[in-house]
Amino acid sequence: MLLQLHNIFKWVNSGGQRIFLLKDINFEVREGEFISIMGPSGSGKSTLLNVIGMLDGFDEGEYQFLDEPVHSIKEKHRANLYKEYIGFVFQSYHLLDELTVKENLEMPLLYKKYKGAERKAMVADMLDRFNIVGKKDLFPAQLSGGQQQLVGIARALISNPKLILADEPTGNLNSKQGEEIMQLFKQLNDEGVTIIQVTHSEKNAAYGSRIINLLDGRMI
Amino acid sequence: MFKNYLKIAWRNLLKNKVFTTANLIGLSTAFAIAILLGMTAMFDLSFDQFHKKKDTVYQLYLSNQTPKGTTISVVNPIPLAPALKEEVPGIKHIARSLSQDALITYQNKDFDLDAEYVDNDFFTLFSYPVIIGNTQEPIPNKNSIALSESTAKKIFGDGNAIGETIFLQQGREQVPFTVASILKDTPVNTSVDFDIVIPFESHREYLPNIDIWDSYNHLVYLELEEGVSLSQFEKNTRSFTNQHYENQIESMVRDGALPDTNGQYKQFHLLPYSDVAFVSYATGIAIVNRTFPYLILGIALLIIFIACANFINMNIALGEKRLKEIGMRKTLGAVKRQLFGQFWLESILIFVVSIVLGLIAAHLLLDPFKTLFNTQATLSNLSKPVILVGFFLSLLLITLIAGGYPALILSKLNAIRALKGKWEMGKNRLRNGLIVLQFVIAIVLISGTIVLHGQIQYMRNKDLGYNKEQVVSIPLNGKMDSYRVVQLLREELKNNPNILSVSGADNNLGRGRDGSLSTSKWRFDYKERSIGTNVLTVDHDYLKTLDIPLVSGRSFSKEYGADSLSIVINETMAKELNEKDPLSVKIQEDEATYTIIGVLKDYHFQNINREIEPLTLFMNTDWDLYYAYVKVSPAAIAKSYDAINAAWGKVEPQAEFLGSFLDENVDRTFRREKTMATIITSGSVLGILLSCIGLFAMSMLVVTQRTKEIGVRKVIGASVSSITLLLTKDFLKLVGFAFLIAAPLAWYFLNNWLESYPFRITLSPLYFAMAGFLAMLIAFLTVGARTIRAASANPVKSLRTE
Repeated sequence: MLLQLHNIFKWVNSGGQRIFLLKDINFEVREGEFISIMGPSGSGKSTLLNVIGMLDGFDEGEYQFLDEPVHSIKEKHRANLYKEYIGFVFQSYHLLDELTVKENLEMPLLYKKYKGAERKAMVADMLDRFNIVGKKDLFPAQLSGGQQQLVGIARALISNPKLILADEPTGNLNSKQGEEIMQLFKQLNDEGVTIIQVTHSEKNAAYGSRIINLLDGRMI
Repeated sequence: MFKNYLKIAWRNLLKNKVFTTANLIGLSTAFAIAILLGMTAMFDLSFDQFHKKKDTVYQLYLSNQTPKGTTISVVNPIPLAPALKEEVPGIKHIARSLSQDALITYQNKDFDLDAEYVDNDFFTLFSYPVIIGNTQEPIPNKNSIALSESTAKKIFGDGNAIGETIFLQQGREQVPFTVASILKDTPVNTSVDFDIVIPFESHREYLPNIDIWDSYNHLVYLELEEGVSLSQFEKNTRSFTNQHYENQIESMVRDGALPDTNGQYKQFHLLPYSDVAFVSYATGIAIVNRTFPYLILGIALLIIFIACANFINMNIALGEKRLKEIGMRKTLGAVKRQLFGQFWLESILIFVVSIVLGLIAAHLLLDPFKTLFNTQATLSNLSKPVILVGFFLSLLLITLIAGGYPALILSKLNAIRALKGKWEMGKNRLRNGLIVLQFVIAIVLISGTIVLHGQIQYMRNKDLGYNKEQVVSIPLNGKMDSYRVVQLLREELKNNPNILSVSGADNNLGRGRDGSLSTSKWRFDYKERSIGTNVLTVDHDYLKTLDIPLVSGRSFSKEYGADSLSIVINETMAKELNEKDPLSVKIQEDEATYTIIGVLKDYHFQNINREIEPLTLFMNTDWDLYYAYVKVSPAAIAKSYDAINAAWGKVEPQAEFLGSFLDENVDRTFRREKTMATIITSGSVLGILLSCIGLFAMSMLVVTQRTKEIGVRKVIGASVSSITLLLTKDFLKLVGFAFLIAAPLAWYFLNNWLESYPFRITLSPLYFAMAGFLAMLIAFLTVGARTIRAASANPVKSLRTE
């Protein structure tokens, strides 16, 4: 069992009223799954993904990640947990503009305190694997959207996470680029990486092994 | 990791060129000036602190109860020190010390030197190291003297000085002395500096006054025996004082003076030598006041504060552009501490660069700074371990606050919010608070500048009661009899139509190029009352030369023959005598009876920051003159000055001509005020400049943030001026608010300061309004430049990005 959500509630208070963003979410994820979260805009997809990724908190319920109770551990410990096991991919890539491709890839390793030689080897490996060795000294602004997302995925993968969380990874790409990225996800999943993606597109959701549908913060 | 941080920092600095430049210029200027000012303050504070016994050696002073209150005197009668040592227990070492000019002759060459007449214990008390000669007793007998290293070089060249005989001019005779030792030159930060040291017993006044208790001319320093406390010693001296000053105490009692709380009319006190350079006795108690150096230090800190406030504001504002980076780093596993470290490191980077630039600038500016601020300070004043460590600690603290605060705020942001570029916080309140504070400082400093200059201008233009523009005073520093010099000058210049009159006196007006100042006082009994007056010995034509009008009576005149028993007094003295007709007054002293022959209009014979005191003029050729006065016609002033110089060369070829116009002399007396004015002026210029750099950067940011709003408003139909006003208003409001805080503050400080001047400008609200208006105007120009451009931009362009 990779992770387990139990009666998760999340709300905000607005004008004296409690507005629920997530309402009684329960599900489990096993290692090796490829899950797609679907639902209309504002249904809480991204919020759920952020809760799973521990970037956002929740107000009620229990969350076990690799048998660690996420809801009751300290921030530092939590940071260690997601730094170790989770990689993020964003719709708008979120690469650091001031850093080159190579340096962007290197950054997660810095926070994990890898040695210099090791980092170099891993970065080289990743550049090789994604076929972007020629671009390693370019800045993000010099790449196309698909290439940027490729770097984003490479960055998420570089520290060998157990789980990849992708928030509409193809949202900013054209269909051809999108298909390539999805193929890549499929391939990664076959290699054993667990993936949870948020998507609007039925076609992309079909790559996954299971679909979770959300409406107004509730699973249906 | 570190390398990555540096890389990111470097690229960010390059990306935000305007802000980086603004920060670097602001901070490095602030550091440069702060270093220079700090150096000046440290130099001022270091005065006399090099003496090893500075805390255990004391200066003796005497407080006297007079009918008008307590006064303090530091000068003492000659028999005091030996008697004190003999009769009062607890004194380990005691030394007398008297500073005077000395005219030395060696092989027919004259040297005008700063002399210090001292007892031998002087060298036990103070740290003036001996280079050659007896370390314990540099002047072993009364015919020996000690020279400073550079003076010995001046007199003897590279030849041997020890054992040589030089001649000291004493009155009209030349007394031989043997050079016994060579001393290290006195450091610049000493209150007592000398070229030559002469035994106290060899002073010409020593023998005549050896048992006289009512003639004072020198300072006394002493060290107590171990275990003797100050209060113990002061108590010990009481019966001694009552016995030796009996006559004076009697007349004090008769005049109605009240004793102090211990029943004493005269009480000796001790002042630690480390405080001597900072003490003021004006109010009847010793007040040790280090305000001036601390004021300088304060201004330095304020300037750093202004620059740091800019830094904080810009950093927080720029943080908005880096939200994505922060969010991304957080999702990649950075914790708060790491982000804080990263942002702090960036701040330190900027600060280190600024300090290096500041140090370089300070070094380059050192020489002009020293001339401008008239200080002898050097950067080595700052290179003491304590100061350096303090400097680095405070630097760390400054970067921690200035860099750490934005770092803290940025590192605390929630990852998701940061990624979405949302940032809700009360940042404007801090920003506005800092801007207001900056302008409060700037406005206070500007008001200070205006008022200070006003006061200096007032003092400079004030009618002092004599003609200061047309009169040259010349220190009589030659060997010849002073009356003869004046007479020869008179004859020499007689045929020059531009020279109107020549006279002499035993004191200068203002402070001449010889730098010396002296006061002579006389106390006598008149109708059972003790009356004190300043005295001045003058030559014929003194009043005519200086254009001092008579109120009644006549001046000294050749027609009346010997006027040596006649005196002329000023109006204040006449008031002091309290007679209907002062011309009828006869003053009896010892065998002589003095007759008042004239009353002159009050004039400022002392510094202008003092009330006019009673003054009595004598004309007695037994008493030397020390200054000649020459009045020239207003036409061809420079030519006349040269003529006087030439005449002097003929009369006294050996002595240096140090003549100067009296208005220069008066200017010299408020050198301190002028230094203060320069410091505050530069502080205020820098303050407003730095505040405006900050304001400019902020206005740029605000304009960028509101580009869309500006576009929409223009499309709807707003005019350029209304938009400019809209954007500028917020900033001007802050300046206005700062003015409201600054004006009372400035009024309070300046009023306090002016109160120490009996003759001063009245503090009108106009000064503050002017300062406020100036700040407002400068702020408007700064912000306006940016906003007008934004307001007149084509709205289509700003909206197209949507």
